[in-house]
Amino acid sequence: MTLTKRTHWIVRVTHWINVIALPLMVASGLRIFNAYPAFARKGETFCCYPFAHKPIPAALTLGGWLAGGRHWHFAVMWILVVNALVYLGFIYLHGEWRELAPHRGDAHRAWEMIEFYAFRLKKHPHQGKHNALQKTAYFAMPIVAAIIVLSGIAIWKPVQLHWLTVLFGGYVWARYTHFVAMVLLVLLVLGHVFMVFAVDPYSLRSMVTGWYDEDQSPEARNARPFYHLLPRRKSLAAESHLPKV
Amino acid sequence: MAETPRDARIDRRSFLALAGASAAAAIVGCDSYGSRFQPALATAERGNERVERLLFRHRSEDRIPGGARLTGNAFPQYFVSDTVPMWDEATRGVWRLEVSGAVRRPLSLSLDDLTKLPRVAQSVDHFCVEGWTARAQWIGVRVSELARAVGITNDAQYVDFQSFDSNYHESWDMASAMHHQTLVAYAMDGRYLGAGHGAPARVHSPVKLGYKNTKYLTRVVFMPARNGGYWSDQGYEWYAGT
Repeated sequence: MTLTKRTHWIVRVTHWINVIALPLMVASGLRIFNAYPAFARKGETFCCYPFAHKPIPAALTLGGWLAGGRHWHFAVMWILVVNALVYLGFIYLHGEWRELAPHRGDAHRAWEMIEFYAFRLKKHPHQGKHNALQKTAYFAMPIVAAIIVLSGIAIWKPVQLHWLTVLFGGYVWARYTHFVAMVLLVLLVLGHVFMVFAVDPYSLRSMVTGWYDEDQSPEARNARPFYHLLPRRKSLAAESHLPKV
Repeated sequence: MAETPRDARIDRRSFLALAGASAAAAIVGCDSYGSRFQPALATAERGNERVERLLFRHRSEDRIPGGARLTGNAFPQYFVSDTVPMWDEATRGVWRLEVSGAVRRPLSLSLDDLTKLPRVAQSVDHFCVEGWTARAQWIGVRVSELARAVGITNDAQYVDFQSFDSNYHESWDMASAMHHQTLVAYAMDGRYLGAGHGAPARVHSPVKLGYKNTKYLTRVVFMPARNGGYWSDQGYEWYAGT
C-alpha cells in the first residue's frame, strides 16, 4: 500500500454536493421541459430536434407538475452555482487547475489511451494524477456547465437580459442550447461514473477520504474497463509483510 | 499506514454511503411542491423574487427582429372557464373597464373610451411558462397611461388585473405594471381581440410570463398589498418576470 493524500476536502465536498444536486436539477428541468417538449416557436418549425412533442418518462422527472418542477429548478440552481464557484475558486487558488488544463501532447496521449483500451497497446500509457481522457472530461465539465448556466439565465430573463438571449441566437436557440448542453453534461457524467466502476473503483476512496493507494492505480494494474479490476498479484505480494487486518 | 485510521476511514465511508442513500430516499420519496421541502422551496422563491426585482429595468425592452413573422392563427387560445368566455351584453350590460383602488379619480371606460386614449402598437414576444413563445402585434393603452389618468396615490404598490373568465386574476408589482411595454390591449395583429384571445380587452406584456397577462379584463385595481392570482395561488411563482 502506498497511500497518498490525493483529493482536497473542498473538492470532495463539492463533488458529493454535485452528486445529489445535479440529478435534482436535471430531473426538475425535464419536468419543465415536459410542459412543452419541443423547441419550435408556435406556428413555426424547428430544424434540430427529432423527438418533438414526445414527453420524457415521468419517472425521470421531479416536481410532480410544472410549478413544482420550476420551484425545484430555481432553488437547486443556487446550490449548484455556489458549489461550482467554490470548486472553481478553490482549484484556481490552490493550483489543482494545472492537473486539468490541457497541455501540449494531450491529444496524442488521449489517443494512446483509446489505443490501450482497444487492446492495440499492451501497456498502460504513463500518466500523472489523471489520464488524458479523464483530464479532457474533467476540463470539459465546468465549461459545459457554464454554458448551461448562461443559457439558463438567458431563458429565465429573455427581456431583462435581452443581450444574453441574443448572444445565444434568441429564446428558442437559448432553450435548445440549455437542453443539448445538459445532455452533453449527463453523458460526460455517465461516462465518468462508468469508468470509475469499470476501471478505477479505488478512486472512490480518495473521493471520500482523500487517500489513494497508488499501488492500485489503473497504471499500476494495467487496467482497462473490467480488466485487472482486482489488485495485481505483485502489489499484493509487496503488501504481504503487513500484519493481517 | 497504521490500521486504526484506515478503519476509521472505512467507517466514515459507510456512514457517508448511508447518509447519501437516506437523502436520496427522502428526495425520491416525495416529489411534489406540497412536500416536506415546500418551506425551503418557498424561501428560494422569495429570494428569487428579490433577485428578479433587482434585475428589472424600466428601460428594458423586448425586441423582435424587423420583418420577423408573427404567429397569427397558431397563437394559442387559452382561458380557465369551461367554454370561451364571452361578455353577454343582454345580461351584463355594455362592457366597461373599471380602473380603481388607490386612485384619486376612478374611471369606468367603455371600449370606445379606451380606444380614444393614447394608443401604442408593439410587436413583441409572448413567453409562456410552459416554455413556448409566440409573436403578435398588440394595440392598446399603456397601464402607466391609465395610472396617470386615474391619479394613483402612494398606496398604489401593486395592481390586480381581474377578469370575467371565472375568477381569473393576477396581481403585479408596480414596476412591471408601469413598464412601457405593459398594455391593456384591445387589438391583436391589427384586429380587435377575438373571443379566444381575451376580448374585449386584456393585459399584454413581454415582461411577465403569459399567465400573469390577464385576459377578458374587467377591472384594474391599484392596491397597497399584493393580491395573489389564479395561478400564483395554486403554486406558480407570483412574480414570474421575464
